[in-house]
Amino acid sequence: MNQHIQKIAELDRVIHEPGRLMIVALLYAVDKADFLYLQHETQMNKGTLSSHLSRLEEAGYVEVVKTYRGKIPQTLLSLTPAGRSAFEQYRKKLKEAL
Amino acid sequence: MDKIEGLLQRPKLYDNIDGLGELGLGLFGLGWGLLEYLQTRSPLRSIWNGWRGNVWFWLIIAVIYYGTRALKKRITYPRTGFVEYRKRKNAWLYALVLGGATALLMAWCVRFAARSHWDIDGSHLGMTTPVALVALAFPVFYVLHIAGAVRWKLAMAAAMAICSVAIAMLPAGVVGAVAGSTSAVATLDERSFGAWMLTIVLYGAILLTSGAISFVLYLRHTQPPAQASA
Repeated sequence: MNQHIQKIAELDRVIHEPGRLMIVALLYAVDKADFLYLQHETQMNKGTLSSHLSRLEEAGYVEVVKTYRGKIPQTLLSLTPAGRSAFEQYRKKLKEAL
Repeated sequence: MDKIEGLLQRPKLYDNIDGLGELGLGLFGLGWGLLEYLQTRSPLRSIWNGWRGNVWFWLIIAVIYYGTRALKKRITYPRTGFVEYRKRKNAWLYALVLGGATALLMAWCVRFAARSHWDIDGSHLGMTTPVALVALAFPVFYVLHIAGAVRWKLAMAAAMAICSVAIAMLPAGVVGAVAGSTSAVATLDERSFGAWMLTIVLYGAILLTSGAISFVLYLRHTQPPAQASA
């Protein structure tokens, strides 16, 4: 198999999906962010964003913490060390593949 | 790949999405300029000079810091979300070293570049041009970190550059008259001090204007979630 095609096949499927890639890239640059911020930046609706976050949480890439800001519920999201490392690997492999 | 790199930059740009960063810097410039003006025109034992002058300076910083934080909490976070940035180890040390090295390099460069406009009277502290031109580093930083993403802010960077050039071209006597010749400037050259004062006040006014426009636009184009879904 062509080496470039092989590299593409090695890309992490969880991160490679465009919606999840946006989420992971945004969270990579910060320590933590809330659900509203991700919704604002990605322009996804609540349902879609929630389903992507659930998938990332299942993979162990994102940590979800439910808390309160005053009396308002707030969902804080951050990348786990595994998520950071997976994203770094993904960028490296993508660079090699392109 | 470029799109991923662009996404990685977005959280940094989000910090000034509401213009509060610029509003804070603008108020700081104007506040500091006003404090220096009061210091130069008051006796040494007035409430504006000595250790009390330092208290005023830190009070300005505290009011701006806690004020912008409170506004972010009440306005920005409920509208477009909360972000906590990653803290680098020894970030202040890097900033200090980098800032100091840049300032020295800039001062050294303008010493040669702007020679024709100096008042050569044996006192190299009496130069208004280098002081004004060193400040040009700020519009460059502003273009790279803020105006690059918001095109109309390039006009603000241009305004700052024009102000610096104008101060550099003003007769040294006029610039020196801004600082006066009392108390605080006793140990400094009044022309350098005047150029510095003019720079921070004019930059402050420009940043305040830019921040206020951004803030109004932000309030117009965003709504708290409850209103947005209604």
